[in-house]
Amino acid sequence: MVVSADGAAVTAVPADTTQPGPTVPPGPTTRPARRRTRRDALRGLLGAAAALALAPLVAASRPVRRDEPEPELAALLGPGGGLDLGLGETVFDVTYLGRHLLGSLVPPAHSGDAGRWEITVDGRPLHLMRRADGTWLSMVDHYRSYAAPLDAVRAAVDELGPGEMLRATAATGRHTHMGGHHGLHP
Amino acid sequence: MAYIRKDVSTLTAGERRRFVRALLELKRRGEYDEFVRMHIDYYVSDGEGGLRTAHMTPSFLPWHRRFLLELENALRRVDPSVTVPYWDWTRNRTATAVPWTADLLGGNGRRSDRQVTTGPFAHATGNWTIKDGVTDTTFLTRDLGRARDPIGLPTKADVEWALSDPVYDVSPWNSTVTRGFRNKLEGWGTGRGSTAWLNHNRVHRWVGGAMVGGASVNDPVFWLHHAFIDLLWTRWQRRHGEHRYLPAEPPLPGSSQFRRVVARHQTLPPWDVTPDQLEDAGRIYRYA
Repeated sequence: MVVSADGAAVTAVPADTTQPGPTVPPGPTTRPARRRTRRDALRGLLGAAAALALAPLVAASRPVRRDEPEPELAALLGPGGGLDLGLGETVFDVTYLGRHLLGSLVPPAHSGDAGRWEITVDGRPLHLMRRADGTWLSMVDHYRSYAAPLDAVRAAVDELGPGEMLRATAATGRHTHMGGHHGLHP
Repeated sequence: MAYIRKDVSTLTAGERRRFVRALLELKRRGEYDEFVRMHIDYYVSDGEGGLRTAHMTPSFLPWHRRFLLELENALRRVDPSVTVPYWDWTRNRTATAVPWTADLLGGNGRRSDRQVTTGPFAHATGNWTIKDGVTDTTFLTRDLGRARDPIGLPTKADVEWALSDPVYDVSPWNSTVTRGFRNKLEGWGTGRGSTAWLNHNRVHRWVGGAMVGGASVNDPVFWLHHAFIDLLWTRWQRRHGEHRYLPAEPPLPGSSQFRRVVARHQTLPPWDVTPDQLEDAGRIYRYA
């Protein structure tokens, strides 16, 4: 069961099981919001009377991790900082090794699209890629993959040196004139 | 007349000097950074849409062969005597062996920030400023052997495990296949943890720093590593003479890999060349 913004229960729509991607909650969070942030997602939930009822479920569903979420979110976010409605983690907001990791799943624009993660580390964008086995890799750590997006982001932070920041704009090779961007990317 | 690519440990002092000088000249001209960007641009993962040419795909080997030839041609325009040497990491396995010497690629990054401070690619020389990195760091970084979480280089046995597979690649032609020479060499594992990352992938991780990220080409060891990967392809071809690049035909409409991989006679972007045409480079170069 998923709780909509006005607190009413809505029935979950079965996810496209042909996609290995995380399932996306239906209802208010599926609106086509390219700029949807974790706060937007939380706002919908916080407006719901169900917030308190969800908290134990969320807390119980997450493995214990050493990160501490922002205190005011502790009631909603599990120990791993993930907001889990039993339909797959779709947002996280954690501090790890002194870095602020913020991520949210942008719902798919059309069926067959698994959605994509918008992630920042200390406010700088980190691009994640998906492997066919459903695991994730980041631009920082490109030669192995991780079970969950947050694992991949933590691993990227592990690779950063002290004070090393991601680029303000994500690195791409769009400007090369040897091959350039030939529409190879989705 | 084919030229020779040598084991980096056998280069003379003069050959080392000329190889390094040619790399620095490409960097000075801005050509080197185009290679960095191109490699970033063509890294398409197999859990997403789009044609994969460089990684998680059968054309991993021919794509990097052509990429190396492109760099080598650029180097030889600077100095016609230069060829790309290869780093046999089954033999030169320590952080102080070649190519990590002051007259070649310089040594490990320092402990505090992993900055490479020795050799011709040290930031202080003013000749090797990272322009297209994943982070805002402008110096080259390395963490040989991964001090924080140590791993070893692949062994001869790891390489043999790949070479002994007689089939080039298998469906679905991506990072999930557990059979076929290509992925056993590229090194996408199915398990969890550090042991899942093999051969090619594992070497990127052993070098660490820039080599772990999407902008791995920023470390010139990229070329020495991929020259050895390319050499291993020629060894596999010699051992399994009757076996060819696969798939021979493009995956059909309806297949999950339709228009996602390059078949033997299809062109391999960004070049106007096919895997078939790249299978034998023996007229261009040979390995010593």
